[in-house]
Amino acid sequence: MTSTLSSARARPSFSWLRVRTVVRRHAYVLWRSPHRWFDIVVWPLFDILLWGSLGAFVAQENDASQAGTPYLLAGIMLFHVLFQSQIAVSTGFMEETWSRNLLNMMTTPLREIEYVVGLAVYGIGKLVAAMAMVCLTAAAFYGFNLGTVGWGLVPIVGILLVVGWALSMLVIGLLLRYGQSAEILAWASTFLILSLSGVFNPVEAIPGPLQPFSRILPTTHVFGAARDLLAGEPAPWSDLGVAALGALVLAALSMVFVTRKLAQFRHRGYVTRYS
Amino acid sequence: METPPVGIVLEASGLVKSFAKVRAVDGVDLTIADGERVALLGPNGAGKTTTLLMLLGAVTPDAGRVSLAGHELPRGRSAAMGEVGFVAGYLPFPDRLRVREALSLFAGFYGFSRRDGDAAVAAGLERFGVGHLADRMCMELSSGQRTLVGIVKAVLARPHLLVLDEPTASLDPDVAFRVRTGLLDVAAEDGTALLVTSHNMVEVERLTERVVFLAGGRVAADGSPAEVAERFGHGDLEGVFLHLAGTVVAEDQLADLDAPREAG
Repeated sequence: MTSTLSSARARPSFSWLRVRTVVRRHAYVLWRSPHRWFDIVVWPLFDILLWGSLGAFVAQENDASQAGTPYLLAGIMLFHVLFQSQIAVSTGFMEETWSRNLLNMMTTPLREIEYVVGLAVYGIGKLVAAMAMVCLTAAAFYGFNLGTVGWGLVPIVGILLVVGWALSMLVIGLLLRYGQSAEILAWASTFLILSLSGVFNPVEAIPGPLQPFSRILPTTHVFGAARDLLAGEPAPWSDLGVAALGALVLAALSMVFVTRKLAQFRHRGYVTRYS
Repeated sequence: METPPVGIVLEASGLVKSFAKVRAVDGVDLTIADGERVALLGPNGAGKTTTLLMLLGAVTPDAGRVSLAGHELPRGRSAAMGEVGFVAGYLPFPDRLRVREALSLFAGFYGFSRRDGDAAVAAGLERFGVGHLADRMCMELSSGQRTLVGIVKAVLARPHLLVLDEPTASLDPDVAFRVRTGLLDVAAEDGTALLVTSHNMVEVERLTERVVFLAGGRVAADGSPAEVAERFGHGDLEGVFLHLAGTVVAEDQLADLDAPREAG
């Protein structure tokens, strides 16, 4: 027992063991909660069927080639990168509030940063599963392969991941401040991005008054870059650079926001909402 | 032979906390020595839970300082929580996990490797006589079982201080007895200090050697149960409690109330 104790008490400032434990905690929940598989299996499947079929129909009606279908499919598949990375972290945190486990967690050596990193790693696992689902569905039903975008896909996915995590930090900050009434924002935030980022269309197709908002979103530049690549054009690195910079600024602001909301959460004793 | 110096496991001074215009805690000082068994008592609204949450770093005080096992909060919160176990009768475990899994996760948070953690969990469950619950889903636990499993969780890392918020509230007497016995064993065998809140004064007298009464967010009394009862001119802690709650009941009335229970 002595060696066990000494190893338990030797606590580094940042512990990957605790990060792995957070991942394990949420993996157990996922395994035991069939409704959580909707995020990974059902919604991705429905989205691909919906947008793929819409693209095929429009192409058929216009007696045109199926050129529109790959744009719609690539858009919704990349949107899922953003959605999955955001929703895994947001609902992971909400799980602690739903199961009234927050005070239990806060009274262990687990650090906030370890918790967030653990949720992000868990989210990557969910993302891989969901992307496998959308890729297989798109390939099987519409013969579309997202890999045709090429290596430019790597920075695109990276930027979308960062934006997804940043959004989840904003959602968690609002949950810390406003409690369960802010839960709807976990879903609403990504759909706001979906409608303003030109996931399927250029910015010019968005109503004029909303276009300035659309242009400042890093995701708008990412989806535009993906369309360029699909059209066989060279990678628009300047657009991707602007998007990467925007994503980093958003991530920094979201970290400041959630840190302040956590301090407010502790200051106002909001933990008693969940105990 | 010289007595070794007694270490201080908890040192809090000048704790103040207000919510809106209500001052919940108003200058509380509390020091607990290694192995000491202390009850934090007081009527509803006296500031007990707020004080506990500040001591655990879950609520930030408006003023004052807290040092746990030599770690200042909030900066040393993570290290301090490694030296403290927390149990609350009202807190459930994550409901989609088996008891063994939930405890194994908490062992991970305390820094145990998977293998060491599982071994510590199995030993802990056996120690408190709840080994048969290992594969039970947490949501299926009764409140007594939940408290016992909560104690297993709290003592996994052999903490210096065990903080218990209403550990036997709403438990049957036999289960409450098991919980008390388990806590006294932990204190005796591991040298763990206890800080307990409870509304059950009989339990407090059995479980602790020192009581700190809060009233209106301030420390109204601090001493052994007998000393505090004597200072307030009552025969026991229940009289002190009622006194501080603003309900003054004569000792003979208390004796009348006790009579049927004792006869029964």
